[in-house]
Amino acid sequence: MNGKVLAGPLDGDLDPFARPMPNLSNALSRRIDADPESVEQGLAQLVLTIVELLRQLMERQALRRIDGGGLTEEQVERLGATFMALDQRMEELREQFGLTAEDLNLDLGPLGRLL
Amino acid sequence: MIELLAITDDPAPTAAPVRIVPAGGLGLVVEPAPHGELDADALWRRESLLEELMRERAVLPVRLGTRLEDAAAAAEAIAPRRAELAAALERVRGAVELSVRAAAAGAPAGADGFAATAEAAHARLAAHARASARHEGPELLRAAYLVDRGDVDGFVVTVRDLQHEHPGLSLLCTGPWPPYSFTEGPAR
Repeated sequence: MNGKVLAGPLDGDLDPFARPMPNLSNALSRRIDADPESVEQGLAQLVLTIVELLRQLMERQALRRIDGGGLTEEQVERLGATFMALDQRMEELREQFGLTAEDLNLDLGPLGRLL
Repeated sequence: MIELLAITDDPAPTAAPVRIVPAGGLGLVVEPAPHGELDADALWRRESLLEELMRERAVLPVRLGTRLEDAAAAAEAIAPRRAELAAALERVRGAVELSVRAAAAGAPAGADGFAATAEAAHARLAAHARASARHEGPELLRAAYLVDRGDVDGFVVTVRDLQHEHPGLSLLCTGPWPPYSFTEGPAR
C-alpha cells in the first residue's frame, strides 16, 4: 500500500486512515478460529453477508422488472411486500448475531465494497 | 472455468501474463479461474496485472470473482453491453483513478467540524478531474477522481496545497489505480 501513497498527511500519521485495513484482513482471514463463539459469529457473518448480497441482487432484478413494465399492479405490490419482509427479517438476524449492516459490507480496499 | 479480469478496447495480445480474447472489437482479459483462497497477495497480483495492462491500453476492471465457463461464454455475456462498454472505455482512456481520503487530524476519523472544509477540498480536486465519485466511509471525505495521466502530478500538488492550507485535516492520496470507480456511466 505504501508504494501507492502519492501524498500523505504533514506529520506522516496514517492512523486516521488505518481503520479499513484491519477490516480487509479480517474479511480475508476470517476462517475457522479456535474460539467456538467467534466461529459461530464469523460463520453467521459470512452467511448473512451472502444472504444480503443475494437479497440486494434479487431486489435490483425485481426493480428492473418493475421498471420494464409487464407486471400487474398486484404483482408489484406483492414483490414490494416480500422485499420489505426480507429486509426486516435480515435486520432481526443481524441483531441476533450482534452484527451491523456495515459488518456485512466487506471492504475489499481499492476493489471497493462488496455490497 | 475462467475468470474475467477486465475489458479493454484493444484486443491485441499483451506481454502481461494474461490472455486477451477478442470479442466484437473489444478484448476480454481472462485467466484460468484461480484455485485456493483469496488473500491479500492474490489481490495485489491482480492489481499489478491490471496496472501493467492499463499502461498500454484503456482498461475497465471487472468485479472481483467474475467467473465464466469459457471465453465464448464471456464474449456472449458482454455482447449485449458492447456499446455501453465501448463508451465507458472511451471515458477512461488515458486517465487513471486517484483516491483521496480526508480525516480530522489527531481526532477519530469522522469527527465533526471539518465537514465543510472537506467538501471544499473535494470541489477543488474535482475541478482537476474528468470525473469524480464519492464513496461512503468513516472519513470526512472518501472520493475517487478520474485524472488524465498527464495531470496526475498537478493533482498531487493540489492535494499537497490543500494539506498545507488545512493542517486540521489529514489528507491521503493514493494511486494511480485502474478506474475501479468509473466503469459505469453517469447515474442512469
